[in-house]
Amino acid sequence: MFVIGAVLVGGLGVVAVLAPQLAPYDPRASPPPGPGLDPPSGEFPLGTTLVGQDILSQVIWGARSTMIIAVGAPVVAVIIGVLVGVGAGLRGGLVDLLAMRIVDVLLAVPRLPVIVLVSALTGASRLGLIALMGFLFWPPIARIVRSQTLTLRQQGFVAAAGGFGGGVLYVIRRHLVPALGPLLVSVFVAFAEQAVTLEASVAFLGLGDPTGVSWGLMMNEALATPGIYFTDAWMWGVLPAGFAITLVVVGFAFLGVGLEPIVNPRSSR
Amino acid sequence: MSRPTGLRQHASSAPSAPPPGGELDEIDELTLASAGDGEATVAASARRSTRTLALTYVVTVFVLITLNFFLPRALPGDPIDSLIDPGGPSYVSNAEIRAELEEYYGLDRPVGEQYVDYLSDLARGDLGVSIRYNVGIGELVQERLPWTILLITSSMLLAAVVGWSAGVHSGWRRGRPVDSGLLGVFTALRSFPVFFLGSIALFVLAVQFDLLPLSGARTLYAPDMGALERAGDIAYHLALPAAVLATQFAGGQYMTMRAGIVGELGADYLVGARAKGLRERRLKYRYAGRNALLPVVTVTALQLGGFLTSAVLVETVFSYPGMGRLVFDAISFRDYPALQGCFLVLSLFVVTLNFLMELLYHRLDPRTTDR
Repeated sequence: MFVIGAVLVGGLGVVAVLAPQLAPYDPRASPPPGPGLDPPSGEFPLGTTLVGQDILSQVIWGARSTMIIAVGAPVVAVIIGVLVGVGAGLRGGLVDLLAMRIVDVLLAVPRLPVIVLVSALTGASRLGLIALMGFLFWPPIARIVRSQTLTLRQQGFVAAAGGFGGGVLYVIRRHLVPALGPLLVSVFVAFAEQAVTLEASVAFLGLGDPTGVSWGLMMNEALATPGIYFTDAWMWGVLPAGFAITLVVVGFAFLGVGLEPIVNPRSSR
Repeated sequence: MSRPTGLRQHASSAPSAPPPGGELDEIDELTLASAGDGEATVAASARRSTRTLALTYVVTVFVLITLNFFLPRALPGDPIDSLIDPGGPSYVSNAEIRAELEEYYGLDRPVGEQYVDYLSDLARGDLGVSIRYNVGIGELVQERLPWTILLITSSMLLAAVVGWSAGVHSGWRRGRPVDSGLLGVFTALRSFPVFFLGSIALFVLAVQFDLLPLSGARTLYAPDMGALERAGDIAYHLALPAAVLATQFAGGQYMTMRAGIVGELGADYLVGARAKGLRERRLKYRYAGRNALLPVVTVTALQLGGFLTSAVLVETVFSYPGMGRLVFDAISFRDYPALQGCFLVLSLFVVTLNFLMELLYHRLDPRTTDR
């Protein structure tokens, strides 16, 4: 499973990096290179969109947008989550209480509607989306990191390190980070998967940057074509982008499951 | 989407002190840590009393109410801009009329004053008037919410029936072909974005095979339908959206139930019950299934928020006239009051249900409360 996941995610990475070399056309070429809703052919391997842009090129460039979101959002979330979690766990008291109440509240906020609302009002930008997702994703990380910090703090070896004169920073560096590292990797993968789905959903609702390329937006544009369901154009309009999203989600999911035994040896009893 | 399962396993790696009840407890604990309902996270954190729980709930509600008010205002964009959109038929370039409109809707007054007004209206159950429809938002919600509730409850029921029974069966036959097969199917279904699955289902079942309706929640303009016929018609329209929505969540329940059953396998009470000569079926569902149920109930309850937000997508694909579409329409028209109303209703709905579920959970498992 780990291998399949790694291959899928790695493939996404390669396509994302090499998009300019791989794509046969400009995904948003204007004037468009072909006729509208052209079926797959030698010239356009996956057909064309309503306005005649090449679908294969859009799929390839979409990989890049997806990759940026899949890496960016979890990075933001992990940074905030670790800072808050370690801070709350080590400081305790009022700081801890406040931080955890904020976590409770943020966890209760439904994610998709908030993202939809903010994107609709600010006009969608990729950077804004990453920041917003990071902001919505950090609470669970903070909570896990905090509880890890709390338990670690009570462990003999950490107490011993303190006893031998190790400072707070030393303990963080020497004991917390190694203990949290594998955990964070798998949290990262889980969030990457969620970020991909969320971005696709938001774009599908028509809130993606209309000049950018995104798989969700491709499906939105295809389905906005009147009567699309009654023509074969549905197949090349919806399927390539849909399967691209699905494959990436499967990739991250498999990667996560594959990492499980490494991260959590206890689970493979 | 808010799929709690992603984090469920990780919390377990906490080298926490062994929980009091052994095996079963461990599972409870991981599940709870997942999407972090209450604070029953890891053994290290204190058990919470019902009073703390209620307090958190009240604070959350207040924060959500406040957020609902300030979030739209903190962002650029203006409802009047949208109302008098240069492309639209009602466009008025007159600054005086604009000011009049702002005054009429109270948008020209200080934000603090608007906020106080908002709170007092809310206390009287008044959600304001939709700028786009010029109808009370309460009315809009009343019209739409039942459809969403119908969609969500029926698909939750479906997901639970399928997920739970498949989970019990799969866990009971761990490692057998049935288990691997089910595991594969549920994992695959979960990986499809809900709108993609919805679109495929529409194309294949509604268009190619013409088995189910393409959109909507019922046949309109059919006044001579009998009550029974009407109910059948609604169920007929509901089938596809509900099934598609259910696929997103049955997987999580299936996985949790399966893990629970696997944890129960070989437990002493099962050996004992088997020695008594009880039938396999009874062992499977009444004994193991029941013991593994608690985490599954929690996961199911925690999915509620996810159900609501996924419903937005499903309703969009199927043109189902629920809250999801209302939210979406309100956003595209910058209809602040309608947006606020929808957000408030939806988020309070989720928070309240989660709170009730947590209370219920304390009743089911007294160990999670400190008396």
